[in-house]
Amino acid sequence: MKVLIANRGEIAVRVMRACKELGYGTVAVYSDCDRNAMHVRMADEAFHIGASPASESYLRIDKIIDVAKRSGATLVHPGYGFLAENEDFGQACVDAGLTFVGPTPHVISLMGSKTAARQAAIAAGVPVVPGTEEPFGDDVSDDEIVATAASIGYPLVVKAVAGGGGKGMRTVATPADLLPAIRTARSEAGSAFGDSAVYLERRIIKPRHIEIQLLGDHHGTVVPFVERECSIQRRHQKVVEESPSLALTPETRKAMAECAAMVARSVGYTNAGTIEFLLDESGQFYFLEMNTRLQVEHPVTEQVTGTDLVHWQLRIALGEKLTIDPVQALTPQCHAIECRIYAEDPDRGFMPSPGLVRALSTPSGPGIRDDRGVAGGFEIPVFYDSMIAKLVVWGDTRLDAVARLRRALDEYRVVGVKTTTPFFQWLTAQPDFLASRFDTTYLDQLLKERQGLVFAEADAADERAATVAVALMSFFRAHRAVTGSATDRAKAGVWRQTALRDGMRN
Amino acid sequence: MLFEIDINDRTRKVQVEKVGATGPDGGRFRVLIDGELAAVDARKTDLGLSLVFEDGQSVDVALTDRPGGEWFVQLPHADVTASVDARRFQRGEGGGGAKSGVQRLKAPMPGRVVRVLVKPGDEVAHRQGVVVVEAMKMENELGAPKAGRVKEVAVTEGQSVEAGRLLVVIE
Repeated sequence: MKVLIANRGEIAVRVMRACKELGYGTVAVYSDCDRNAMHVRMADEAFHIGASPASESYLRIDKIIDVAKRSGATLVHPGYGFLAENEDFGQACVDAGLTFVGPTPHVISLMGSKTAARQAAIAAGVPVVPGTEEPFGDDVSDDEIVATAASIGYPLVVKAVAGGGGKGMRTVATPADLLPAIRTARSEAGSAFGDSAVYLERRIIKPRHIEIQLLGDHHGTVVPFVERECSIQRRHQKVVEESPSLALTPETRKAMAECAAMVARSVGYTNAGTIEFLLDESGQFYFLEMNTRLQVEHPVTEQVTGTDLVHWQLRIALGEKLTIDPVQALTPQCHAIECRIYAEDPDRGFMPSPGLVRALSTPSGPGIRDDRGVAGGFEIPVFYDSMIAKLVVWGDTRLDAVARLRRALDEYRVVGVKTTTPFFQWLTAQPDFLASRFDTTYLDQLLKERQGLVFAEADAADERAATVAVALMSFFRAHRAVTGSATDRAKAGVWRQTALRDGMRN
Repeated sequence: MLFEIDINDRTRKVQVEKVGATGPDGGRFRVLIDGELAAVDARKTDLGLSLVFEDGQSVDVALTDRPGGEWFVQLPHADVTASVDARRFQRGEGGGGAKSGVQRLKAPMPGRVVRVLVKPGDEVAHRQGVVVVEAMKMENELGAPKAGRVKEVAVTEGQSVEAGRLLVVIE
C-alpha cells in the first residue's frame, strides 16, 4: 500500500515517518525549487508537479490526482495548509477512488464557514462568544439595542458587518456609551463600506487561546485529548504551543473536552481535527472555530499523551476502530512545549531570511524532538512559509521543559541563515512567560515595548571569538592561496563559488 | 599577517601568528587584537571553527562567507557580521566597506520596493528604516546598516528587485 503526501516541508517528512513505521510506501510531489528538498530525498517515489509558485504545483488538484494514479497510491494525506481544508480536493480524491486522510468533503465545507460552524456549536449546546445573531439594520429602535446589549453583557464590541481593519469597530465599557458608539460605528462603516449594519459581541478580556485535539473514527467514536495552550502569538500567528495549559483546572479541561467532542459528534466528524476556544479570565470558555486537519502543533499532544496522531489518522482512514483509552487521552503524562523555528531575522522585524542552509547541527539527548523539513545544503525557497523546524521538548514540569527548551535552542545551529532562535532564547527568559502569565495580546505588547531592541546582543567575549574566527579563516585562506596544494586551491575556488551564490541570496 | 576586521561599527587591527607547526585542520595561534593577546587553539569543523582560548573559553563558531569580504558569524548566543579589510583579504572581490566607512544596503530577498523612506543627503541612525520591500506577502522594513548619511538611493518605489540588488548606500 502506498500513501501520496500532498505537501512539502516538515509535515511531509512527519507523515512519511508514520507511513514507513506502518509499512506503507511513500509518494512525494515536488515543485521546481523543491527538487532537493528533504521530503523528496526521504520518499520512496517522487513526482514533479510544476513550477515553484504553490498555485502551479502544491495547489494543483489535477496534477496531484494524476500522480496518485500514476504511482498507484491509494491513500492521500494532505498535511496542513495548501489543500488540507479544501473540500474540492477531498471530493476529487473520492471521485478518483482514493482514500482522503481527513474528514468528508461535506464536513470540511461545513466547518470551514465561520457562521455555519458557530451555528453547529450553538446547536450542540456549546458556548460561543455571546453576541447578536442578526445584525442591526437602520430600522432597529434604540430601546431594542439597549435591551439586546444588556442581555449580551458588558464590556462589548460594536462591529460593522462589512468591517475590517478596525473601521466601524468600537469598544463599549458601560451602557451609557452604547448609543453614541453605535452611531459612530454606523457612520464610519457607512462611509467606509457603504453598509452601516452593525452587530454586538461580548468583549473577551485578555483571552487565552486554548484548543482541543480530537480523533473521530468511522464507527461513531470521538476521543478528545489534553488541551494545547497557544496564546503566545505574534500578529495572530502561533509562535509557541504547549500542553497542558497552566490556566485550566482539571474540571475545565474535562468540560472543554466534552464540548469539543459534542461539536465533533454533532457533525459526524471523522479523522483528526481541532476545536479552538477562547478562555476568559474567569475560566469561562467560548467556541471559536474548528480546524478540519492535522495541526502544526500536534506533536505537543503526542508527547503529552503518548499517542501517535498520524498513525491514527491513517488507521482511521482505513476503517479501524479507535482503541484509545479516553481517560488516558485526557491525562497529561508530562509537559511539552513546541517552538517554531523560522528562517526569519527577529532583529529586523521578523523579516524572512531565505537562503542556503550551509550546514545544520541540531539538538538531541533526553526529551527532544526535532520535526524538521530542511536538511543541510538546501536552499530555503522564497515561495512558501519559511518554517525550518518545530523544536519540541518535554519534561516532568513546565519549568523542566522550559529549561530543556533553552538547552536545545543553544544546540540548534542553522548555518548560513538567520533564524528565530535568539528570539526564543529571549522569550523563554521573560518572567511572565516563565510564570505562564499571558494571553493572546501578551507577545505583541511585549514586542512593542522593546521597540526593536536586538534580541541577542554580542558581548565582549562573543566579539573576541568572532574577531579571532574571522581572522583565522582569512589567514587560512590567504596562506592556502600562497602555499597550498593544487587541490586546496581548487577547493578554495568551489568554496568561493558557493559563498558567492549564498551571498547573492542573502 | 595583519587584518582589519570590522564588527559592530568598530575596526580592530588583528595580527595572526602561528605557534609551532599547524596542520590542515588548524592548530595553535597567537592573535593580537588591537595589541591585546588572545592565545587560541583553533580547529576546523563542519560548521566553521572550534576555538579553545588559553583562558579556557570554548566557542563553537559557525562561519559563512559572503561576497565583499564579509563573514556571517553565528555564535551560540548571538549572530555577528564581520568585514575583513580588502587590502589584506586576498581575493578579487571588492569589499573595503569597513575601511572607507561606506555601507551598501542590499535586498536580502527578491521582492518589490513599496516605499523609499530616505533621500540622498539624509542623516540616518543605525537600524533606522530606509526602504520597505514586499516579499513573501509581507512588508519588510529594511534598516540602515550603520549610522551615517545617505549617499545614494539606487531604487525607486514600485521597482522589482532581485536578491543582492543594491538599494541604498550610506556613508
